[in-house]
Amino acid sequence: MTVLRTLNLVRIYQNGGVPVPAVRGVDFTVEAGEFVAIMGPSGSGKSTLVHMLGGLDQRTSGEIWLDGKRVDTLSESAWAVLRRRKIGFVFQFYNLVTNMTVADNVELPALLAGMSSREARERREYLLGELGLTERAYAAPAELSGGEQQRVALARALANGPRLLLADEPTGNLDSRNTRDVLKLLGEVHGNGQTVVVVTHDAKVASKADRVVTLSDGMIVDDASMRRRRFPPGSAGDVVELHG
Amino acid sequence: MIAEWRWIRADLRARRVQATLTVLAVAGIVAALVTAATLLEEGTNPWRGLFTRGHGGHIWIHSKDAPDISALRQLNGVTEIAGPYVSAPATLARGGRKVPVALQEAPASLPKVATPLLVEGRWLDPADPGGVVVERSFAAATGLRPGSAFPVTGLNGATHTLFVKGLAESGDQGFYPEWTPGLAWTLRPTLTMVEPAPGRTETVTGLRLADPEDTNLVVQQSMTTLAGQVQRVSTWREVRASMELDNRLLGLLLALFGAAGLVGAALALANATGGRVLGQLRDLATLKSLGFTPRQIAAMLLAEHGLLGLLGLAIGLTAGRVITTAALQVPPSLTQLAAIGLGTILVVLVAVWLPAWRGGRTAPIPAAPAIPPHGRLSRLARLALLVRLPPALVLGTRDAFTRRVPAILTSAGLALPMMMITIGLGCWATLDDFTKNPAKVGQAAALSVRPGNLTADETRLRALADPAVTAAYPGVDLDALVPWQTRTVRTRALGTSTAPYPFHVAEGRMFRERGEAVAGQGLLDLLSVRVGDRVRLTIGGTPLIVHIVGRVIEPEQDGEVLSFGIDTLAAKDAVPPHYFALVLTDGADPQEVRARLQGLEVTQAVNPADRLAVIRVIIVALVVVLALIGLTNLLTAGALGRRDHLRDLAVLQAMGLTPRQVMATLVTGTGILATLGVLAGTAAGTLLSSTLIDWEGHGSGVGAGIGRAPTPAALAAAVLLAVGAALLVALIPARRAARARVPVTAG
Repeated sequence: MTVLRTLNLVRIYQNGGVPVPAVRGVDFTVEAGEFVAIMGPSGSGKSTLVHMLGGLDQRTSGEIWLDGKRVDTLSESAWAVLRRRKIGFVFQFYNLVTNMTVADNVELPALLAGMSSREARERREYLLGELGLTERAYAAPAELSGGEQQRVALARALANGPRLLLADEPTGNLDSRNTRDVLKLLGEVHGNGQTVVVVTHDAKVASKADRVVTLSDGMIVDDASMRRRRFPPGSAGDVVELHG
Repeated sequence: MIAEWRWIRADLRARRVQATLTVLAVAGIVAALVTAATLLEEGTNPWRGLFTRGHGGHIWIHSKDAPDISALRQLNGVTEIAGPYVSAPATLARGGRKVPVALQEAPASLPKVATPLLVEGRWLDPADPGGVVVERSFAAATGLRPGSAFPVTGLNGATHTLFVKGLAESGDQGFYPEWTPGLAWTLRPTLTMVEPAPGRTETVTGLRLADPEDTNLVVQQSMTTLAGQVQRVSTWREVRASMELDNRLLGLLLALFGAAGLVGAALALANATGGRVLGQLRDLATLKSLGFTPRQIAAMLLAEHGLLGLLGLAIGLTAGRVITTAALQVPPSLTQLAAIGLGTILVVLVAVWLPAWRGGRTAPIPAAPAIPPHGRLSRLARLALLVRLPPALVLGTRDAFTRRVPAILTSAGLALPMMMITIGLGCWATLDDFTKNPAKVGQAAALSVRPGNLTADETRLRALADPAVTAAYPGVDLDALVPWQTRTVRTRALGTSTAPYPFHVAEGRMFRERGEAVAGQGLLDLLSVRVGDRVRLTIGGTPLIVHIVGRVIEPEQDGEVLSFGIDTLAAKDAVPPHYFALVLTDGADPQEVRARLQGLEVTQAVNPADRLAVIRVIIVALVVVLALIGLTNLLTAGALGRRDHLRDLAVLQAMGLTPRQVMATLVTGTGILATLGVLAGTAAGTLLSSTLIDWEGHGSGVGAGIGRAPTPAALAAAVLLAVGAALLVALIPARRAARARVPVTAG
């Protein structure tokens, strides 16, 4: 089942009257349960694309379909309501609400979606427990390490069990150990059937994906399906597994 | 809703100090407004204060004999009763004149209802039966002080010399001479001594009501109850009306200061909200990415900051009430509280709405920390560096203008309070001008003297005999009928066409011939005429056509006065003159001259500035509040600026600037904007203050032409103080920031 589909998606910015195309006619689909990594050099339009997919940025032309419904024509408010239920976001700089505790940050989307305080608390306790953050529930974001903050951001993105998890460089600001932890969590989430689209320039992140879409100058130059890992990590399978 | 409240609670908890400051700023302004309004009301309508403090009676019944108190007490709505007191008519002989006075019985200990409010001296003492306590306005008009002799003659012709023990105010009788006869309290034995015949006295009884609105009903009931005993009745409404100064100028000034105060509140709130919203744009974007709609964010910010404003309003209203009740013993009137409350709510909503709307429009992409705009060195800056101006100065100047919006906000945040302060100083200068040059507000004559028992010529000669009197202009005040007007207007014949009274002509010219006249703005507005028009009037049955040749500054009767030479009037109306207006030599003290003119009925002109004295207190209070608002704006701007500057600081340090140079750069950046704001605000205030005060003058009928700009010295002091304070405020955080070690990759 197709969760996400784009048709000839274009985004052109105006810079002092000069049109600067960031995304130039992207057609791509994401199936339910798929883990897609979008890669490409800086300025290739990856972040713009993922922002458009979540309604954070407006397309110039083209279509976006989510769960079989066309969503690119939605108003800003309608996008916001859609995001509450169907889309979870994880950002490079974590973007936790600074004046709220970890618990409040995770409960906020649930409350926003109409859950009662008790339901939101139970969901938060479950998610923080899963991510090993139960003890940090009442800490301020500033008291957490980068890895912890990103894990909280992940818990927050998953609070409403979204159809689609969008992550923009989730490990871009983390050291290798924290990158490994976050990737492990993403893998687990995906393993539970979550559809994930990750923008990254980190090959390690891409290696977790089912599919790697490569962008260059705002266009898809490569869309490669990766077979699920069948060999234990570190064996020769890692080296010789090639797909067209 | 839970999500929004959760965020508001978290945000308020995270910035307790700032939120408290906002609440306090609004509370301070509202409390100042309530106090100012009550003070001004005291000035224009002292009745309420006197009545409240003296716990006065709403109805006073004058009867031949003591009425049936128990019957009056049982009337519906009557809560307390004052008296009954015996009152006797007598004549006070003072300065060669005989003035009627009402001697009223009073108990030896101050009564609980209708208490005379002692302002000077002592209350009556049974051990000293020759004492009287005189009502203050009557004492002022007759020159009585504690210790003065009080020679009264009863109806039987016997004169008794009593002595003034004290002066007291009362809200149960109007001021002298609007309310006659004058009032003096004395003990019963003294009263009996002056007027031994009970048949020649009357009894006064005061009724205090639960609801003043029941007055008419209770008057009717008491008339029925006392059946035929009642001689006359006076009510609180008449007393209030006689005390009210019908002065539109004061009302307009109150409105102006109210507006200034509310603008101050709006500035404080808008700045606090705006600064906060700017500071948390990233959080707001994150909220949007989580699914908050723009409307939800705007409503949430409006609720959060609006609640702070409303909390401030509630505290301010309560504090204002407590302050006025404690200091003036008069609670503010409900109308004032309601007007200030509604005005503040409106201001709070407007001030908060814009930043809240701006917050709601935040782009939903929680971008990485803002990258400073890449400003280039202008040609001027390069030239400045070439001629070896200190780099800190050049970099600071460049820095000040690189970020245009914050630069404008900083300057405007200082310019607005500074403009209001300058307008306040303009009001102060205008009041000073009123006091220094009364001639400019139409009060060339400090004294006016009425002939009384003398002939007009004798009066004039006796007045002119005083060395300080330079001229005595004969005057007649008459009411004139104007066609198409249902009311009369005051005409004043003063001086002659050849030797006119020195009116202050603001427009046109002085009258020079018979049939020419000058008018106050109020009269021109009332009759819808202009300088140059002719007006037909009927004075004392004689028709008269006058040519209005000029507009004068007219502080009396809301400017609704027409003035011309006494020779314009028919002889039957002009002779003899009612009074002489006396112009004194420069620097002569009207009080002393008045004292020297013994035996003449002398009245001293009341300078509008004296009535407006309370405004000076309000100006000082407002200047303080506005200065605080300016400083708060500067602190907010500084905090935002530093946040944006972190990266610059690192670069500057990396380039090799010493901490001192970095500090100088930061101070220059803020200092230039502050100076620009202060100068712009001062210039705008100077331009506006005369115009605004003249507009007030025009509106109040006094007429345009009274407004004065603040003196250069006052302006210079204000500018220096403001800039100095701004630099000081900028210096402390700049010093701290310059010493901090900031990594280049910050953010």
